Amino acid sequence: MNTDEQPAFIRCRGLTKVYRRGDTEITPLAQLDLDIPRGAFVSLMGPSGSGKTTLLNLLAGIDSVTRGSLTVGPRDIATMSRDQLAAWRSTEVGIIFQSYNLVPVLNAFENVELPLLLGRLPRRERERRALEALATVGLSDRAGHFPRQLSGGQEQRVAIARAIVADPPLLLADEPTGDLDRASADMVLALLEQLNRERGTTIVMVTHDPAAAAHAGIQFHLDKGALARTVVTA
Amino acid sequence: MIWMRAALLSLRMLSRQRLRAALAVLGIGVAVFLLCAERALHAGVREATESNDRDTRLIVYRANRFCPFTSRIPERYADAILEIPGVRSAVPMQIVVSNCRASLDVVVFRGIRGEDAERALAPRLRFVEGSLAAFLSRGDGALIGSALAERRGLRVGDRFSSAGVTVTVLGIVEAEGAQDRNACFVQLPFLQGATARVQGGEVTQFEVEVDDPRRMDEIARAIDARFAADAAPTSTRAEKAFVARAAEDLVTIARFAGWLGLAALAAVFALVANSIVLSLEGRTREIAVLQSMGFRARLVAWTIVVEGVALAAAGSAAGAGAAFAVLAFGKFGVGAEGVTVEFRPSLEAALTATLAAMAVGLAAGALPAFSAARRSIVEGLKSP
Repeated sequence: MNTDEQPAFIRCRGLTKVYRRGDTEITPLAQLDLDIPRGAFVSLMGPSGSGKTTLLNLLAGIDSVTRGSLTVGPRDIATMSRDQLAAWRSTEVGIIFQSYNLVPVLNAFENVELPLLLGRLPRRERERRALEALATVGLSDRAGHFPRQLSGGQEQRVAIARAIVADPPLLLADEPTGDLDRASADMVLALLEQLNRERGTTIVMVTHDPAAAAHAGIQFHLDKGALARTVVTA
Repeated sequence: MIWMRAALLSLRMLSRQRLRAALAVLGIGVAVFLLCAERALHAGVREATESNDRDTRLIVYRANRFCPFTSRIPERYADAILEIPGVRSAVPMQIVVSNCRASLDVVVFRGIRGEDAERALAPRLRFVEGSLAAFLSRGDGALIGSALAERRGLRVGDRFSSAGVTVTVLGIVEAEGAQDRNACFVQLPFLQGATARVQGGEVTQFEVEVDDPRRMDEIARAIDARFAADAAPTSTRAEKAFVARAAEDLVTIARFAGWLGLAALAAVFALVANSIVLSLEGRTREIAVLQSMGFRARLVAWTIVVEGVALAAAGSAAGAGAAFAVLAFGKFGVGAEGVTVEFRPSLEAALTATLAAMAVGLAAGALPAFSAARRSIVEGLKSP
């Protein structure tokens, strides 16, 4: 369904994902049609096994589409090769994980700089952008700290800085507040809202938490691999 | 540029895992140390036993005797040997060793007549300290080969004892051949008098110089034929063939050590592969995260391969450097039956060992690297 009159930035048609576990076929997503406008802040909700993380993985291009089409911007990512998807992710997508997934032997600055190593930016420009991203998440003073020296909330903010440092138009977040206390979760959600509002970044966030989902302008509720309900608040 | 940045990233990450890196480097270093020691022994054996077309020296030994204590030849044979056409000189030499068996610190006394000293020693010895005149001026004087002097810390003026023989060092000499670098030259009458095991008028061997290297075999046969019916028949060989036979056990050990060298390389392979595989076990999710950022599979594999090569390079450089230093300064030589096979370290061998270890490290890192990089990103993100 089209949730807005703007042309869809993300467009799923008949999107199906089938896994094989031995002789058993599992279909976490079946014939999903979904449109997400550019600049939207979307939450994906639903019970465990409803297909929301699978959908996020497909949107990120880290899992392959079994059937159907999936276009992000002008590209049909369902037909792209593994290498093409990697190149596409390096400029077009930022991913935030529930458990932060920072590289433990790199400090905050080095973690944030990682995506920029794939581009052609000179060292000084990489440094400038990484520090700017850390400043955006309010952690300029933690640039030299290693993940073990940061709180959970700070780690997640570093992960957000890493996800936005290359300024991708699409930000995907998988339970970004799942491991955080309320105060830290609110800070992270406020940050995501700010990025959506000020940069126009399209954000798709998987969450179980209704309070977190309430920050999104569009809430998609999935059930058994299909779209069950859509709530538009913005 | 991306590949260089990824390589630097890999090295930075490796440098932050110091314990793992240090343990791997230590293990690889020990293996490469052994490899270099084996290469040095191999080079020493080759130098001591492989003849070339410039060799002109024969060793005349008592037939069917294999030890300096049992090889007894009348000193008077020298005159008869000199009569054989093509022989330039025949120097009787008494050999007394501190230990007949294989040992790392054997002192080989070489007793030489004063009248032969100038002719026999001057062309092949270069004086680092002292002089031939000083040596000849004193009965218990000794010229010490440079390797023996360094091994024992001997200087001109020192006195030292071995095998019941006490001498005064009157010269330190450098030489091209391992036998001379590890010898203690003394005057023949002194050596014959200094030890009860040696009888006057008898020597262990003759060193015979021939005019034409191409006639070595012919002259050797002529010498043995000359004394075949005598009470002390002889067995004559080119010096390096003589060393190869006398040090047969050492040559066999050196050949076996070649397998140890291969085992050392296998150890490098196992150590690098083990370090990489263990590291990857704990970094499955980290690799998936890198790929989710846009690192291509081959770029991730490259960072892992760089890690393996870096470990191998650091370990092999440390091991080869340590081996070179220890062997070069220790001047080790293995002696047996009065001949010495030196450990001959060389920068070339150290570099070869380092490059071999790096190549092995590359191979050891490549397989787990590509295997890890081809894993599913989604599965990787689920790993603990």
